[in-house]
Amino acid sequence: MTQKFKRIAKVIMLMAAVVVSVCLFTPGNVNAAEKFIVGFDASFPPYGSVDENGEYVGFDLDLAQEVCDRNGWTLVKQPIDWNTKDSELNAGNISCIWNGFTMNGREDKYTWSTPYIDNSQVVIVNADSDINKLTDLKGKRVVVQADSSALAALKGDDATENNKKLASSMKEIIEVADYNTAFMNLESGVADAVCMDIGVASYKINSSDGKFKMLDEKISSEEYGIGFKKGNTKLRDEVQKTLFAMLEDGTYDKIANDWGLSESTCLSEEDTKYIDGGAVPTADPSKIKKTDNKNTSDNGSVKKVVKAKKTSVLNIVKQLSRGMAATLGIFVFTLIFSMPLGLLLTAVRMSKIKILEWLAKIYISIMRGTPLMLQLLVVFYGPHYLLGIKVPYSYRFYAVIIGFSLNYAAYFAEIFRSGIQSIPVGQREAATVLGYSRTGTFFKIIFPQMVKRIMPPVTNEVITLVKDTSLAFALAYTEMFTVAQQITASQASIMPLFVAGLFYYIFNALVAYIMEFIEKKLDYYR
Amino acid sequence: MSILKMEHIKKSFDGKEVLKDISLSVNEGEVVSIIGPSGSGKSTLLRCATFLERADDGSISYVGKDVVKSEGGISVYPGKKEIRQAQLNFGLVFQNFNLFPHFSVMKNIADAPISNQKRDKEEVYAEVRELLKKVGLEDKENAYPCELSGGQQQRVAIARALALNPKILFFDEPTSALDPEITAGILRVMKELADENMTMLVVTHEIDFAKAVSDRVIFMDDGMVVEEGSPEEVIDNPKNQRTKDFLKKLSL
Repeated sequence: MTQKFKRIAKVIMLMAAVVVSVCLFTPGNVNAAEKFIVGFDASFPPYGSVDENGEYVGFDLDLAQEVCDRNGWTLVKQPIDWNTKDSELNAGNISCIWNGFTMNGREDKYTWSTPYIDNSQVVIVNADSDINKLTDLKGKRVVVQADSSALAALKGDDATENNKKLASSMKEIIEVADYNTAFMNLESGVADAVCMDIGVASYKINSSDGKFKMLDEKISSEEYGIGFKKGNTKLRDEVQKTLFAMLEDGTYDKIANDWGLSESTCLSEEDTKYIDGGAVPTADPSKIKKTDNKNTSDNGSVKKVVKAKKTSVLNIVKQLSRGMAATLGIFVFTLIFSMPLGLLLTAVRMSKIKILEWLAKIYISIMRGTPLMLQLLVVFYGPHYLLGIKVPYSYRFYAVIIGFSLNYAAYFAEIFRSGIQSIPVGQREAATVLGYSRTGTFFKIIFPQMVKRIMPPVTNEVITLVKDTSLAFALAYTEMFTVAQQITASQASIMPLFVAGLFYYIFNALVAYIMEFIEKKLDYYR
Repeated sequence: MSILKMEHIKKSFDGKEVLKDISLSVNEGEVVSIIGPSGSGKSTLLRCATFLERADDGSISYVGKDVVKSEGGISVYPGKKEIRQAQLNFGLVFQNFNLFPHFSVMKNIADAPISNQKRDKEEVYAEVRELLKKVGLEDKENAYPCELSGGQQQRVAIARALALNPKILFFDEPTSALDPEITAGILRVMKELADENMTMLVVTHEIDFAKAVSDRVIFMDDGMVVEEGSPEEVIDNPKNQRTKDFLKKLSL
């Protein structure tokens, strides 16, 4: 019996060693030069979204791919949580934010490329709505994406007086995490209008079979650029040069047309207002050319209308399976690490040494008393912001596992403690007088009985873990629920969310079944 | 030769003195019963003898070897290893049996000799079967404690204590958790052990048993030995008023 435990302990230690060494030796820094990591919001078509095969696609990603191809870089498409984009960029987890990224109002926060898309903020309402002009928004509920240009145009420091007035006349401005939620709010009648970028808005209207309409009046006009970390002019210049080269040979306009954005392009080698010091790195100074804002017809006069492709439930399931593997990974690794860690924590918590006991108490109190999402953020960004360490790209996954394991260990520790303390003291005394050592008493007498007693609360915790895996999106780790949200955005349908719910249910039914099976197995004694 | 010798044992819980300078010795082959009202300190004395409780003052020795020494008014305990060594001298049978519920009867009895005394498995199994026959449970070696009656469980507990070949067997009110008709069976097993010259120290409420089996009876009250002597002296002809009162209460 003890030998079995020793073996299990060895396996666990080996696994931990492997993970730690992979963490330490992943050559993230070595080939960082060749890796071009684009941070984008995967629910922001046509700039970035997920297609019916589960691939990340979009106008910006096609541009980025072309830039990479021309420079011999490897493109990494990293969907991010829009709220944490600055942390991701500053921590060096992504090379740039390239995702219909509005420059206006953010001029000083990033090192920018020149603007390449002219984008306006517009208002979308239900087709049968009686809102027809901006003044009709008075007393209405309006949805915007958190930290979006629409929000900045309405309420930001640089918002125009008219827009500020308009914003204050609204009953409420609801901030949501993504455009799926925004449109679900609109469709369900919780909100009356959505303010958003014209590109995404057109895509949505084209895809929705006349469910929505766009107001003619615009809230603001603005431009998109590629945002680099403040001061990273070297990378910016390389990308900029490549973009100009693509503009000259027509590749840029072709890609724009592919995504139905021909009317919005505005890339120009003369436009230097956002470049620090005004010096534009040019592809070839002798061939300066300006694109016509409204007409790119030299590429062919066929204007494409890009809209969402509906796919079957089977296809949704197929795509979700991809995220399911990630979810399963978080689940399994968290259990493998948090349970032994929890046991160790129980030992410290029940230690006779007061200081150790208190340290364990404080740890458990913090882990149980603060949101798991916050803990994940601390684990992921902590090394950079607190210690100044640049973490490798692969750290994202490890951070998820570390964050989950640290959190769940605290809960497991308390469950283990309750199990141990519920065992009559006579068991320990009997073992002592029979000559069992302390470790022998624990592993042979106490531990097996503890396991049986804690099965119901452990089952609860494990089921909660299955659902908690979706929090991994806080670190932009693409697990199943994130995939579901991305498909929802690109297909303009909430079906994927239901399918995801079904997946979770089946997963948990399986977990509950297995736990019940173990409980029955342990039922040979009382 | 004295198997157990305890001298001037003192023990307090939160300032309340539970054992007030108690001395006790048990010789080889002797059966000693400790009787007395609840709260008199009988069980605490037994727990001090078995190292489940640490005495505040006093010395304890087993088979002539000093284990706990009294130095300057406090008991000095040796390291864990020496304590474990001393524990090999005795077996303890609890009031609540304290069998390991997740072990079969066989494993309950055989595991300690095999894993802690490093004895040969087959030899231990054979011996355990003999012991089970002795306590009348030869057909129960694969049963789990929850499948046994209270009396059967206590017999397994006795066999478990015997399997370590102790020089002395302690009983802490072994029958008080059992029905009267089952009690008789346990007492019979204990009497057989006494007849085989097993050295035993029994804390009990069974006055008849104490009278029939003991070589010596100790009456304890309020943390002190009030009266000590042969069963005839202490039970049939008590001299002390407190002993008389206690025995009178029991007979009513």
